Amino acid sequence: MDKNLIIELKNLNKSYPVADDSFFALKNVTTQFFKGEFSGIVGPSGSGKTTLLNILGSLDQPTTGSATVLGHDISSLSHQSSADLRNYHIGFIFQVFNLLPVYTVFENVEFALLLQKKSSSERKKAVMQALEWVGLADKAAKKPNKLSGGESQRVAIARAMVKKPELLLADEPTANLDAENAHGILKTMKTLNRELGTSFIFSTHDEKVMGYLNRIIHLRDGRIENDEEISNPKFA
Amino acid sequence: MKLALKLAFKNIYGAGLRTILNVIVLSFSFVIIIFLNGVMDGWNAQAKKDTIEWEYGYGQLRHKDYDPYDPYTILDSHAPIPENRPDLTPILIHQASIYPEGRMMNIVLKGIPADQQTLLLPTSHLNAQEKQYPVIIGKRFAASSKLNVGDEVLLRWRDVNGTYDANTIYISAIFDSNVPTIDDGQIWMNINNLWQMTDQVNEATLLVLNETSTPLESTLWNFTSQKELLSTIEEIIATKKISSSIMYILLLAIALLAIFDTQVLSIFRRQKEIGTYVALGMTRRKVVGLFTVEGSMYSILALFLASLYGTPFFIFIKKIGIPVAEADQEVGLAIAERIFPIYGFSLVIGTVIVVVLASTIVSFLPARKIAKINPVSALKGKIQ
Repeated sequence: MDKNLIIELKNLNKSYPVADDSFFALKNVTTQFFKGEFSGIVGPSGSGKTTLLNILGSLDQPTTGSATVLGHDISSLSHQSSADLRNYHIGFIFQVFNLLPVYTVFENVEFALLLQKKSSSERKKAVMQALEWVGLADKAAKKPNKLSGGESQRVAIARAMVKKPELLLADEPTANLDAENAHGILKTMKTLNRELGTSFIFSTHDEKVMGYLNRIIHLRDGRIENDEEISNPKFA
Repeated sequence: MKLALKLAFKNIYGAGLRTILNVIVLSFSFVIIIFLNGVMDGWNAQAKKDTIEWEYGYGQLRHKDYDPYDPYTILDSHAPIPENRPDLTPILIHQASIYPEGRMMNIVLKGIPADQQTLLLPTSHLNAQEKQYPVIIGKRFAASSKLNVGDEVLLRWRDVNGTYDANTIYISAIFDSNVPTIDDGQIWMNINNLWQMTDQVNEATLLVLNETSTPLESTLWNFTSQKELLSTIEEIIATKKISSSIMYILLLAIALLAIFDTQVLSIFRRQKEIGTYVALGMTRRKVVGLFTVEGSMYSILALFLASLYGTPFFIFIKKIGIPVAEADQEVGLAIAERIFPIYGFSLVIGTVIVVVLASTIVSFLPARKIAKINPVSALKGKIQ
């Protein structure tokens, strides 16, 4: 087995019951992801991008087939193991940021480290470093409602990256941002990918995002339509 | 747990007005529960103390045929006082009638030694030399019979042989006691006079023990302990406690309903937050714990708030007491003009445990639903 292999999907299907029938969100998906990739799952709405991302993040389980993420079979993970996998190894970035409104920027970023039971000094050091990565060290004491959309998404990146995960899953991270902020976010993520070696998988149909990706997997109606390597991304 | 407490505090602090309202209502529950129970406990303690001091002493030896609830037993329930027992205060009971202002009133005539020290009855007034039959009566009976100190009234009684006799008695004092059972329809006279009037020298219906008394082995006398005598008071007050608890149960129910409602609403409104917690690595069980701790934290904050305004209030009320309306003093149970509440350690701790436990349970009930939530649906805000 390739030691750089971090995700392996084999004949993955995901279906939902609809009346007396089943709706297949993913059909027979088979692919692999490798360490350090800056890849994206691209397709129109309803093509199964988010469903696939949720399975990769162990938030959901395949109906049939197998999904092995960082050596863990997602189908057989207990609640605790799946929570541990997300807590220590996988970071999430959401379209609507999902920052916790009652916490400050610092506390939002600190949250994952609290779950890891890190000491106060370790947490402080790691949080400030993560905020420096995204250029928001001076906004640590602010509440999310005082931030712009771009700043909020950068806090979400810091929150996902503070625990230095092997894998970062970003679901439409630029959908709610203007072009300037979107490019700023993507550049930050690309830098983190390069410097920390974190693997990024995006779900997107945003052309700007695609311009940064090294690999694009096209999904249509739950099937992989095309899987292309981009040797010279537009905004690399 | 530490994390849950920290997060819960932040969340309910951030919830603003809803938190304030829940905490205020719940703090009222704390204060009302402690206050009402404190009043009841104060009444209980005062009623027992007064009844011991005025009527029961440290237990009673009752004649074997005497039933305080059956007046027909009075005439035949008497026996010689045990010898060499100066610690026992004899009371001889007889039925009699008085005729104040031409009306006839049936009364219970009680003879007691004028020099007794066991009960608080002012029996020294029974030694008044100026009249043949000086008696004392309570303020309630004085009011109902319209008798005053210095009045004379005709008394008719039956002696040991059943023969009617009559004479004039003199009201030498009116005593003020919180214990109605030694007052209503009763006249106290020197037992020496009653012995002479009824030809029952050295006999008694019951004997009151003092704190140095030892048990008496006798087939003529039945011993009733102080605890048994007081059990009636305790039962009555316990019953009143239950009826008064309806008020604070209602208040507590409103507060708990508010918490329950807040929790249900929270789970619905904060489903994206729940999804985010799970995505960030919290188990669903931990999220349930977090929401449960949040709910129970309302009670902790309410406890702090209640102690802020409740403590000075309790201290003030304990100092000045609660005035009791005159009509309420006629309930047939010892009740003072003012009740001084007693806030015992067990009352306060018990109330805290009940309220915190109840608010934790009502927080947990809706929070259980989180364990079944699909995090993907929660993140999308699609939970109905």
